[in-house]
Amino acid sequence: MTNTPHEVQLALDEFDRSQLPEAQRSLSGDAFREAVREHFTEEFAGHGGGAEVVVTADRIIIRWTDSTDARTLTERGVDFLMAGNYEKGIGMLRVALQRNPADPNALFNLAMALSDQGKMDEAVGLLERLLAEHPSHAHGWVALGVAQARMNRDAEAVESLTMAVSLNPNDGHVRKNLGAILSRSGSINEAIVHLQAAARLLPSDPQCWFNLAATLEEAGKPEAADEAYMKVLALDRNGRMGEMAEQGRSRIAEKAFRSLGGGFRPDAISYCQGALERFKDMPRAEIQRITFEIAMLGSRGLDVNDPAEQYSLRSIPGKFSGLHLLCIEYVGFQIIDPKVDIGFDLSAEYQTACAMFGEGE
Amino acid sequence: MPLHPAAQQMIRKVEALSGRPVHVAEDPELKVMASITTARGSAPAHFLRYRPGTQAVDYLLVYQLGFVVRLFSCPAADRWEVGSNAAEQEAGIRMLGLEDHPRDFAAAMVGQLVVQLRSYSVGARVDDWIWNHLPELREQQEQAIRTQLDEGGRALSPEIRQRFPKALVDANSIINAAYAVHWGGLLEDSRFQIPFKALGYEARALELLRALDLVPDAPEADRELISTWAECLGLTGTFHFQPHLLT
Repeated sequence: MTNTPHEVQLALDEFDRSQLPEAQRSLSGDAFREAVREHFTEEFAGHGGGAEVVVTADRIIIRWTDSTDARTLTERGVDFLMAGNYEKGIGMLRVALQRNPADPNALFNLAMALSDQGKMDEAVGLLERLLAEHPSHAHGWVALGVAQARMNRDAEAVESLTMAVSLNPNDGHVRKNLGAILSRSGSINEAIVHLQAAARLLPSDPQCWFNLAATLEEAGKPEAADEAYMKVLALDRNGRMGEMAEQGRSRIAEKAFRSLGGGFRPDAISYCQGALERFKDMPRAEIQRITFEIAMLGSRGLDVNDPAEQYSLRSIPGKFSGLHLLCIEYVGFQIIDPKVDIGFDLSAEYQTACAMFGEGE
Repeated sequence: MPLHPAAQQMIRKVEALSGRPVHVAEDPELKVMASITTARGSAPAHFLRYRPGTQAVDYLLVYQLGFVVRLFSCPAADRWEVGSNAAEQEAGIRMLGLEDHPRDFAAAMVGQLVVQLRSYSVGARVDDWIWNHLPELREQQEQAIRTQLDEGGRALSPEIRQRFPKALVDANSIINAAYAVHWGGLLEDSRFQIPFKALGYEARALELLRALDLVPDAPEADRELISTWAECLGLTGTFHFQPHLLT
């Protein structure tokens, strides 16, 4: 495109007043000239810098310059979408496609917009058209895969996202999506490969680490899963991901705990008995204070499988192992609010302790 | 100056279809950028001339040759050209409000408008074909079309419009407006059509463009296309179709 300056001059009295809003059509003098000037300024807006418009006593002078900044229909459509105006954006992209049915940007952005609006069939159709013409369009394969996954067409989604990975193996987001879909489809080992790659490529994304952790846990790799859950906690301790990572860690700890004690843990019975003894005749508010302090400490992780007495509390003197504190917490909640699930099932040990404590009484 | 392979190929196509050679020559006296005199009767060749120094010359030559291709793509019995006899010229002078102007000048104005009628209607077919089939010439085509769009916009100036009767100015402006809308779409640049719209020409321009959609895009239908445009512009009766004959 050249940088040719353009100038058009029109007689003011030939201007078609029906172009103006109804309220301005009968204006005269300066008010009319200003309305005309505004009209042309608006008409030229959005065309790469607009135009200079001068309205004199008898004529309209419009000057503009071609520039590489001039926005194409597709670009203008995308501008509307980015501004949240889907109706105009989608309309403009449809016109762009009428002009050039193979325009990859129009196909891609229209498909994304329709997908956002839940019009999945049309979105998928456009993406398939895009990829038939441009099979190396990596983002197109990603969008198609995500759309297929949203339609529960997992097998096709895996194919599309695998294509995207082959075109761009270093896109962490694609590998994260592909790993998640493989994981929910039951292809655990394959999922882990992509989720590990995703975590390596997106090391600050807690969702990435969580997906990896959960899949490793499902694959029966608790140590690696626990390590990944800890990454989640380091990145998002107070968020939803962190909460779910805590639950994951508790599950892993409980499984390890059961496996160590053959399913029933006498040490836990003993700790529960001690807690029942400690809380006997203690005011409820005091029980609550101790229990909540342990719960608070537990939110940062208690290692129930390490017998070392490594924890201390403000409310009780001494040093405690992780399992010991967990038993005190369990018994505490059984007294103040038995509906609370601390995420670690000590009910069998607690029942036995209660029976023994009752006999002792 | 060597011509672009696309232009050379187009020359070969015209020669094959018409059976007459194409003679290409520079012509410093030429008033327009490029022009073709199509062989008729016993003329030995089609004469294709262009002004030295013309930019986008390959596109302009291909554009001229495109009319000849369309003409000779029709069976011999369906080859027509536009002509005006004295009575039709008189009718045109009356329709366009040129009665008070010198007779020769008025007749020349009618003739120019009839040429414009034919070259913009069938020309849209030729241009679309080049746009879609010769992407290697697209840059030249776009440059030439932007120049043409610029000239169309400049023709709206009060000084030019005041010199001619309103009927003539309106017919010319509607054709230019159609050109601006048509190319505004293909070039994704609608700025050139804004001034025409401001003077109230958009609706009539769209009527012409609708004819491009309704009339089949076959060379045999070019006569119908020209007639439909003439009807839209109120120019019916200012010209006729006569057989194009080669002997």
